[in-house]
This record gives sequence, structure tokens and C-alpha cells, in this order.
Amino acid sequence: MNLFELLNFYVVPGIVLGSIYALGAVGITLIFAILRYAHLAHGDMATLGAFIALAVVTSLGVSPYVALPIAILGTAAVAVGIDKVFYEHLRERPKIVTVMASLGIALMIRAVVQVVWGVDTQTYTRGIVRPEDYFGIRIRDREIYTILAMVALVGVLHVFLTRSKWGKAMRAMSDNPNLALLSGIDNKKVVMLTWVIAGGLCAASGFFLGINTELKSMMGWHMLLPMFAAAILGGVGRVEGAVLGGLIVGIAEELSVLVIPSEYKAAMAFAILLFMLLVRPTGLLKGKVL
Amino acid sequence: MTALLSMESLTGGYGEADILQTVSLSVAQDEIVVIVGPNGAGKSTAMKSVFGLLTIRGGKILFDGDDITGWAPNRIVQRGICYVPQVDNIFREMSIQENLEMGGFLKTGDLTAAYDRVYELFPDLKERRKTLAGSLSGGQRQMVAMGRALMLDPKLLLLDEPTAGLSPKYMEQIFQICRDVRDTGVAILLVEQHAKQALAFADRGYVLAAGKNRHEGTGADLLADREVAEMFLGG
Repeated sequence: MNLFELLNFYVVPGIVLGSIYALGAVGITLIFAILRYAHLAHGDMATLGAFIALAVVTSLGVSPYVALPIAILGTAAVAVGIDKVFYEHLRERPKIVTVMASLGIALMIRAVVQVVWGVDTQTYTRGIVRPEDYFGIRIRDREIYTILAMVALVGVLHVFLTRSKWGKAMRAMSDNPNLALLSGIDNKKVVMLTWVIAGGLCAASGFFLGINTELKSMMGWHMLLPMFAAAILGGVGRVEGAVLGGLIVGIAEELSVLVIPSEYKAAMAFAILLFMLLVRPTGLLKGKVL
Repeated sequence: MTALLSMESLTGGYGEADILQTVSLSVAQDEIVVIVGPNGAGKSTAMKSVFGLLTIRGGKILFDGDDITGWAPNRIVQRGICYVPQVDNIFREMSIQENLEMGGFLKTGDLTAAYDRVYELFPDLKERRKTLAGSLSGGQRQMVAMGRALMLDPKLLLLDEPTAGLSPKYMEQIFQICRDVRDTGVAILLVEQHAKQALAFADRGYVLAAGKNRHEGTGADLLADREVAEMFLGG
């Protein structure tokens, strides 16, 4: 196998898959940092986002990329709503209660998706797209858009967190919640903001998984493990770590096909997760210890 | 002398147990007041009670003409009292400047004047304002913590053992900064483990023991008191 085969069949798809994981992992890491629990409904929230985009595409007949912003806003609103109706009441309880509740929310979201859109496989657009050739690297337009969208969304988030008053308030709440409260930072607004960002990124993650493969009601659930592996690999609470972790998990999954049967691809994420928790629980970029 | 803060026979604690029993103290506008006492005397608890962090079962706290007994901390912050906890009193993963910005979070409008005021008190911090607070030395962290609390122009600053774990050199520096802060019109109430040094520098002091008032007076008077000397100062 030559270098171009390696790049075209494993590395490029790995980066695309990794970008999709990264979008979800950033939300997981933010929720970990600010609310301090593992959010198990994250994958199914991504599924919901993908299907909201499908609904917009089929009802308005627009391009999927036009539907994406609507799906982001819709899923962000749903995420805030779920927090208000369910998680907010569990805030003072032990965190494990919320973790279990989020598993219930995952099942509820999936059930809604299955009732509304059915259990069959669906797609945004029909037909086969051939990859373009750029100096020997073969890549499809939608793959380029996936990578660019991930970089742009995470870039905007980074600027928000480092430059804006409320972005800094989010970092303060993650850094030292007691001192943030003593400084008069409104915890409720920070939590709401966290859900808007996590929900919106979830939708983008589901959407790009949908546009690169197909839409299924279990699509997000299957991404949950790699997304968690990515967040922990990068270091909990580290946005840039979640991106790095996502890319590593994505590429590792694609490369694993060289040595293990492709049905066991998902085991790579599990292996990375386990390895990091045992060897370096703070992750590559020194995040919080869980 | 009218008191800025006065605590009148306060009884209370965390949960069920009353750690404080009829404790009274006061702080005037231009004063540094120190609370000293043996371990478990309720020094920090007395201070936290001002900031609304414990359950009060008797007595009241008056501040600048308002009865603030039972107010929530964020309301107390807005009323003009800022509190610097003993530990975890900075945002480690944020720069010095960002720490100050978070201190001024409740302020609407331009923070420039507030930054200038804090940097004037702590010139060392100005040079390093982009440095992560977590990478600073203990003394500098304490300065960041005090700077953060001063961003809202409080009338009263509460410091919980600001010199804990610091070298004598830094202790002296922190005390000097306290005097400078007082001279800008901010009253200070602090809890100190280093009783001797603290009484020597403060305007007035209270000695608490087992959750009750034991002695009070000017720093010099307390230092001269034989009973106080035997109690804490090694005879």
C-alpha cells in the first residue's frame, strides 16, 4: 500500500469522522467542566439534530446546508428545554442521579425520533458523489465542508470563551465555581449558555454524520462512546483537547480496519477510553480528574 | 465613631450546631480590625456569617444602615462587601487580568478605572497581567485574590487568613497592602493565625475563644494584656 492509498482510504475518512466526533466531544467536555456530570443523552441529541435538518430539507426543499443552522438553533432550544424540565431539578442531588436521568432522556429522544421519522434509513440527498482529486488526495466536497465547519464552529467558540464577558464567566465557573458565585456570576445563565452551545454543536455533529453516511435513529447512540473517548483523551474541560481527541479517535478507528475486522472498529474508542482512564486520567492536555 | 459594620450578639453555625454564641463586633469606616483566637474559636465562621454563608439563629448584622442578616451572598456583594476566602481564592486557569475582570463582573460599563486602582495597589500584577494566576507564587496569588475582591469598589473587605503559608517577607507586604487599601477608604475585617504580628499591625482586635467574645481593644492593648499573651502568644 502506498502513501496515497493510506491517506485516501484511511487518514482522510479518519479526519472527517474525527471532526464529527470532535463536535460532540466539545459539548461533552463543556458539560463535564461546568455541570460536572457525564451527559449520556449527547448522542441521541445529535440524532435529533440530524433529523430536524432532514425535516427542513424535505418540507422546504432546500439544500441540507441551509437546513443546518435551523437544526443547530432547534437542537439548542431542545437542550435548554430538557435542562429546565429535567436536569435543573436534580442539580442539588448526587451527580450520578443526573447521569442516570440523562440515560433516560437518551431513550426518550430516540423514541421521539423513531415515532416521528420511523426506524428506516434515510438520506438528505440521493445519488452517489464521486470524490474530487486534489494532487492525488481524493476527497468529496461534503468531506471538506465537514472539516471546515468543525474548524469554524470550534474557532468561534474559542473566540467566545477567551474574548467575551460571558465566555470568560463560563471558564470561571469551570475553574472555581464557589469563587464565581462570590464574584456575582449568575450560575443559571452560564448553565443555559452551556446547553445552547452543547446542543448546537450536537446538531452539527449529527448533521455531518448524516450527510457523510446516512440517517438512522441509532446513529447518535453509536457515536456516544467515541465522543466520550475523545473528550477524556483530550482532557476534560479542554475544548482544544476535545478536538484533538476527536481527530485521534476518528483516525484510530479508520486505521484499525487494517488489523481488525471492520465490525470491531468501535472497540478502538473503547480501548482508548480505557487506556486513558488507567494511565493518564487527566488526558493529553491536562484536564480535570473525574 | 459610627460603625460601618456591626454584628450584635450573633448566634449561629452550619446546620444544627451553633458555632458562634452571642458574638458581637464592629468595624468603622477607616479601620483594620483583626479577629484572632485559638483553632476552633469560630474566627472564620464569624467572618463568613457577615457574608451570609451560615445559618443565623440569633442576633443581627447591620451594614451601612441596612440590616443584612440573612441576605444572599450576591446581594451582599452588590451592597459593598467583598470576601476573599482562605483557599481556592483565584481562578487558576485564567490570567491575572481575567481574574480581575471576573471580580468586576457585576459592574456595568467601563472597568478601566477599577483596573487602574487595583494595579496602583499591586504594581507587580500590572506587569504580569497576561500570566495565568495558577502559575504565580503564594504571595502574588493572595494579591490577585485581593485585587479581584477590590474590583467592585467595596466599602468593606473580608480577608480570611490572608497570610496563611506565606513567608515573613510576604506577610509584611500583605499587611502593608492592607494599610494602603484602608487609606483608600476601604475598611478591612480579617482573620489571622499569626496573632502577634496581626495585632501589632491592626487598628483594633477581637479575641474569640470557643465561639464567644473573650477580649477586645486596640492592637497594642491586647498585646500588652497578660491573659491574651498567655493564651496565644506563647507566654
